[in-house]
Amino acid sequence: MKFMPHEVMPPAGAQAPGTAPPMLELVNVWKRFGEAQAQTVAVSGVNLRIAKSEFVTLVGPSGCGKSTLFNMIAGLLPPDDDGSLLFGGAPQRDGQLLGKVSFMPQRDLLFPWRTVLDNAILALEVEGTPRKEARERARAMLPEFGLAGFANHYPHQLSGGMRQRVALMRTFLFERDLMLLDEPFGALDALTRTRMQHWLLELWARHRRTVLFITHDIDEAILLGDKVLVMTARPGTVKSETVIDLPRPRDPSVVLTPEFIGLKQRLLAEIEEESQKTFAQEGTAS
Amino acid sequence: MNAQLQRALRSPALAFVGLALVWELCVHAFAPSPRYLPALSAIAQDAWSVWPQLMRGFGRTLLETVLGFAMGAVFGCLCGTVFTYSRWMERSVFPLFVVSQTVPVVAFGALIVIWFGNSLLAKVMTAFFLTFFPVTVNTLRGLKSCDPQRMALMKSFGANRFTMFFKLAVPSALPQVMVGLRVAIGLSLIGSVVGEWFGETVGLGVMLMEAMNADLVVRLWVVMFACGLMGALLYGLLTFVERRLVWWRSES
Amino acid sequence: MVAQRKLTASPVVPVVLGVAVLLVVWQGAIWLFKIPPFVLPSLGAIVQHAFTDTGRLMAALLATLGEAIGGYALGSVLGLLLAVVLLLAPPLERIVMPLAVAVNAVPTVAYAPLFLIWFGLGAASKIALVALAVGFTMLVNALHGLKQADQAAVNLMRSFGAGQMKIVWRLRLPVAMPSVVTALRIGVPRSMIVAIVGEMLGAYAGLGRMIYESTQQVDLLSVWSAVLVASVASMVFYGLLVWIDQKLVWWR
Repeated sequence: MKFMPHEVMPPAGAQAPGTAPPMLELVNVWKRFGEAQAQTVAVSGVNLRIAKSEFVTLVGPSGCGKSTLFNMIAGLLPPDDDGSLLFGGAPQRDGQLLGKVSFMPQRDLLFPWRTVLDNAILALEVEGTPRKEARERARAMLPEFGLAGFANHYPHQLSGGMRQRVALMRTFLFERDLMLLDEPFGALDALTRTRMQHWLLELWARHRRTVLFITHDIDEAILLGDKVLVMTARPGTVKSETVIDLPRPRDPSVVLTPEFIGLKQRLLAEIEEESQKTFAQEGTAS
Repeated sequence: MNAQLQRALRSPALAFVGLALVWELCVHAFAPSPRYLPALSAIAQDAWSVWPQLMRGFGRTLLETVLGFAMGAVFGCLCGTVFTYSRWMERSVFPLFVVSQTVPVVAFGALIVIWFGNSLLAKVMTAFFLTFFPVTVNTLRGLKSCDPQRMALMKSFGANRFTMFFKLAVPSALPQVMVGLRVAIGLSLIGSVVGEWFGETVGLGVMLMEAMNADLVVRLWVVMFACGLMGALLYGLLTFVERRLVWWRSES
Repeated sequence: MVAQRKLTASPVVPVVLGVAVLLVVWQGAIWLFKIPPFVLPSLGAIVQHAFTDTGRLMAALLATLGEAIGGYALGSVLGLLLAVVLLLAPPLERIVMPLAVAVNAVPTVAYAPLFLIWFGLGAASKIALVALAVGFTMLVNALHGLKQADQAAVNLMRSFGAGQMKIVWRLRLPVAMPSVVTALRIGVPRSMIVAIVGEMLGAYAGLGRMIYESTQQVDLLSVWSAVLVASVASMVFYGLLVWIDQKLVWWR
């Protein structure tokens, strides 16, 4: 197992002395695509901080730059020069973040020629863990992910929900302090999704990794997160940060409590505003 | 029992047997000129009469085909890989490959003999010439169709270019490469047969030429069947390899 | 306007580049290795000879083109029709496909002597040979393409009350277009080559016959001129087809 040292340097932003730097900090992060006239701004001036072991959810209308933001945090896209990404307090240069963050994109992206087990250990293999050891670790985790007995199955033999779980397992086995989950339950039917949310919360309670979770489902955002960030329509920036102080562990029935509904009302209004803007944009788009 | 019988009735083997019977019966019933359609039994008889020569010819042509195919496949895969990762190599050399295929190789069969002598190598080169292009094109296409999202995923794990090539690009290209190999093996057989026309003593192509020159019509059919058998054998082998190694469907 | 210019530029440029590189390599090799003209004449000499011999070359080219195009058209149409028929009658497909595969396992060139006997030395035998080669490729590709149509889409049309033929015409054929066009593209260089091979074995006219005669007379310059003409004609037709492809299947 690779040990990831945190480079401790004087933090960039205003920080009370003596406190640990946030796990992830984005300072004035912008991302523009294209040149001059045809330029689109996907992400504009995003500032956010995520502390260790926090579960932060990100909601926003479609096309607001959520995925672009994720790609930048995963190290796949560099932010524009105006801003910087800090990981454990240290500013990251272009590509430095690659391999430091455990990233799960929207599609499961399983390799059809690999078994469930071998798909799960993909990141470990890349990291350099010997296959035998990696397979043992994955095998031990199969029951926790509800995949016991499916080690030697192939992706095409699994249902959508199971494939997502394999992808999630792959993400979990890649032991990094920060996990990025981009709408992992988006393609699932409502019933499966509820089960997966519940199961994810249990998993997180046990392992306590830092999670940044994108969704377009408000219920999911409030249910899962310690904090909900709402993004504006394009050009995307952080509109608001709402702390969710609902007690943990969270029962599925929490969605019916007045506190939950109150939070939902507030967030719904904000998102509606942004959705309207997105529709307006699409209407006038060339 | 019923299900087994049904499956047997549907098998292609039955279609062949049926056709063979129909053939024999028609010939005996309508007695067309043997120049146009000899009886299956006559063909079998002629084959038996030249069995040793036929066997030697079969073996020789098979060797040329397999060697030419192997060379073409390896070269094609290498070129396909180089062209995928080197833009300027692709731009400069690949058009050359395309042009080479418009030249009928049969046309310089005589030249090939001059260059490589009347040897096994000459026939292998003829087969190679027809083989490398489809393999190159399909390898190139296969490697280029590598899913960019999966590549991004591997990058996020911190994978370097070699890891991405061996763990992702190659497996995802394999189905397309197999398509190329299947085309190539058929062409390799054509190359060997044609190559043998230009100075050889043993081989199915030679027997074809001899039969044509000596106006032995039934012999022509014998050689055609032998070639068909070889073709079927080679395709079958390739399909078998494909089923075992490359059984997953490419996602596009 | 801009789109049109982009369309015509793309297939031509790489070919021109390829030919340019070929020229350099060719002349360079001759100069570097001091290759005698009877092994490999210089391109200049070949082109010169081609110009002096234009009449004969053009006549030969016309004959070959006639056979190639005739066979190409015939084979493509028959292959497509047969694919539709087989699609609409699955039991027929089970019988015909194995036979078609068996027939195709025999290298096309092996059929040449037989076709010469059946259809004589004239153009008909070459046309038949080309039709066979092109037709099978078209059959396989068209059948694959026709089957690509999403079953859900087919069911939708059936729920509208569409009959089989309408479904084929409105849904399956458009979906099959990319596969059909692929087969058409593969067919173009093949038809020239197959026609030439057929002529080399027996013909009254054509580039293949010219190559054969010139080889007998050890007139290598004529051989190369004929090869050059065949190659250029093939490239022109391929470019033409790519252009048509981009206009027909623009929605890809």
